[in-house]
Amino acid sequence: MGRLVLRRLLATIPVLLLVTAGVFALIHLTPGDPIDVMMAESVDASVKANLRAELGLDRPLYLQYAAWMGRILRGDLGRSIRNREPVIENVGRRIRPSLQLAGLAMGISLLVATPIGIFSAARRNTSVDRFGTSFALFGICMPNFLLALLLIFFFGVKLRWLPISGYTDPAEELLPGLRSLVLPAVTLGLALAAVITRTLRSSMLDALSEDYVRTARAKGLTEWQVIRGHVLKNALIPVVTVLGLQLGTLIGGAVITEYVFALPGVGRLVVDAVFARDYPLVQGVVLLIAVGFILSNLLVDLLYGWIDPRIRYR
Amino acid sequence: MAAPAPDVNGRFASRRNFLRLCALASGGLAQAVTVGPQAASIALAQPAASQAGAPKKGGTLRVGFYVEAATMDPHLSGSKVDRQIYHNIYEPLLVLDTSLGIKPGLAESWQQPDPKTLVMKLRRGVKFHDGTDFNAEAAKFNFNRMKTEPKSVRKGEVASIESVDAVDPYTIRINLRRPDAALLATLTDRAGMMVSPKTAQERGPELERNAKGAGTGPFEFVEWVKDDHLLIKRNDSYWNKQGGPYLDRIRYRPIPDDTVKLQSLQAGEIDVIDYVQPRDVAAVKADKNAVVLDVPSLASFAYQLNQTRPPFDNKALRHAVAYAIDLEQIVKGVWLNVGVPSNGPIPPTSWAYDNTQKPIKRDLARAKAKLAEGGKPGGFAFTMTTANIPINVQEAEVIQAQLAEGGISMKVKLVDAATQLSDGNTRNFDMISYQWSGRPDPDGNIYQFFRTTPGASLNWSGISNPQLDALLDKTREVSAQPERKKLYSQVTKILQEELPMIFIVHPIEPKAFSPRVQGYEPIPDGMMRFRTVWLK
Repeated sequence: MGRLVLRRLLATIPVLLLVTAGVFALIHLTPGDPIDVMMAESVDASVKANLRAELGLDRPLYLQYAAWMGRILRGDLGRSIRNREPVIENVGRRIRPSLQLAGLAMGISLLVATPIGIFSAARRNTSVDRFGTSFALFGICMPNFLLALLLIFFFGVKLRWLPISGYTDPAEELLPGLRSLVLPAVTLGLALAAVITRTLRSSMLDALSEDYVRTARAKGLTEWQVIRGHVLKNALIPVVTVLGLQLGTLIGGAVITEYVFALPGVGRLVVDAVFARDYPLVQGVVLLIAVGFILSNLLVDLLYGWIDPRIRYR
Repeated sequence: MAAPAPDVNGRFASRRNFLRLCALASGGLAQAVTVGPQAASIALAQPAASQAGAPKKGGTLRVGFYVEAATMDPHLSGSKVDRQIYHNIYEPLLVLDTSLGIKPGLAESWQQPDPKTLVMKLRRGVKFHDGTDFNAEAAKFNFNRMKTEPKSVRKGEVASIESVDAVDPYTIRINLRRPDAALLATLTDRAGMMVSPKTAQERGPELERNAKGAGTGPFEFVEWVKDDHLLIKRNDSYWNKQGGPYLDRIRYRPIPDDTVKLQSLQAGEIDVIDYVQPRDVAAVKADKNAVVLDVPSLASFAYQLNQTRPPFDNKALRHAVAYAIDLEQIVKGVWLNVGVPSNGPIPPTSWAYDNTQKPIKRDLARAKAKLAEGGKPGGFAFTMTTANIPINVQEAEVIQAQLAEGGISMKVKLVDAATQLSDGNTRNFDMISYQWSGRPDPDGNIYQFFRTTPGASLNWSGISNPQLDALLDKTREVSAQPERKKLYSQVTKILQEELPMIFIVHPIEPKAFSPRVQGYEPIPDGMMRFRTVWLK
């Protein structure tokens, strides 16, 4: 197991190099300059030139990339151009809300999707199944921002049950924090729930047609005992895959949800940084997101080995 | 519209009267366009005077802006939202009143013994929030900091200042390099804001995050939790004992989405928002949970035409486009009349506005004639670069259709703000959208855009007209308003002839409040000053 982890970690190095070089090139070649953005209303050419020189923005691209790589290898992700704080601090502040949101979204989607998926498969082609399918279709098709605005309208404006926007940390104040995260988590979780429902349904149907299930039924177990004892664990494997892949998306890609609900998350951080051409921040955050993706994929693969004893890595 | 009157219970301070005042203010604005700024000033000044019902202390005002402040250091600030907060915790030497007149702020009086010297007598008994005195040495420190601090964004604004002397503890003499008629207006904003020398020196770069003790204003900085909120509280030792401040605290929150921001106000989660989108104005005015104030602004929305390359190096073609565009249709259909058609860069709120010069009226026949004159009788094609925000996109589509009727084919290129700035600064555009938030002195809306300037500048169109240059320089030398107004009329005329920009609209900035908010005095620079505000 240890050798597997080591091999996988080594394999990530070329991936990270490609990702960082790609992002570096993209963000630097896009028209627009962080100094112009920061000083949009000022005409002071000499101040701008000085700032650019100070940040090394007047040097050739490959030199800037080399300098940045050098700093990365020393563990220094650099400073944001806009607020001059270390990139690590900027991300650190925003990662907690993102993780909490992602966790809550996953929890909600599992809570909703698992029973629907199981019953869809167990009661195949009945009205329960049709409901499950419709639910999945709705979840996939519903645009993120529209759902967010609808939820805000009903639960925030009309019913006044939940806050309309803003973030409170559940770790500091549990109930207000959860209340501020419920609507965004439902928004994010719905599409995920749809995917999980379908994945679970099809993997359960596969498992239900296996021979060992017939044996179990022949032994006299109830349908429910069959599902719980034999089918579910196998059916969950593809779901684990989906969750692992989605974790990265949930953290870095919840931008629209974060915008609408005014949550200070990582997605908004990186998009705002792109708009402001805040090069160190964009590069730093993308690097961290890439590392996050890679680690979560590794975690999923390791989890496989634990869930399914048949899978052994050489 | 009836003036405020006691309602059935004999009270003046009712919501109905507040709304009447707002209607008066809006009506006043309509009159102002034809009559002049005076009528608007009278109408707008009333909300403060007629707020009978004693203001009471207390409460937290919750304000929603679309974005967070960028820095708490006024000398390093380049963003409009920063100014909103500064006007509550810092104070400038001079202040604006509701008709954009310049009044004493931290400077009690001033004189100009000659065009290159400005002597200001400073207010006594003013202390910074950290306890140190505000005096001539402090003022001198601030001007030096603006000029010498490496990252200072104010350098251009104080470029005309050669040096500042502290003549005595409460008098400063500002020595100018050249006459600068616009300087007084510049000192009503960030360039005139006084920061405590002690705090600035002790705190160094941390001042950008933490402004505790740095200002002299009616409120003082408490804390800034990035991405979440910024909190300021009442300064109980504020020097002006009349008329406020009343609020205990003000809490600023960034809410990026317009719809959510408005809903937060309507649901009572926040008390103030700084801007209502034109498309929402009618609905919000009908809503009992919100009060809308139409504040005419200094802002200007226009399209710059690149005169340094085809097709718009050809004046006739610039005119062809101008005559094919229907300004009234755009202001009515896209801006929903939350704005006034432009005749030039000077807004109707300004004393320099010339209401005898009308905005360009659509004339397809003339447009066709101009096309022929420009050597393109069959029409021509070009690209409009515009910011990728809904109202710009809508307007671009409308203009595209209008121009097509004139035989001109326009492509639209949507870009984000950084690309727009880059394209503008490098003159990589045919026609590019431009929005300027506006300055109280017309110089701030004009000089840097139309004066011949070598190298990179805000003169994106590349206009270089000697007659215009001479006029612009003169507007800075002459200090008497009537004379300057005549000069600016001539400038407007030349601009309508040379067309470096096609001026579209001077937006109105509707601000919305919870009905509990009382005592707000709207000043056309769009800055929300809360000293006189109290909560019912």
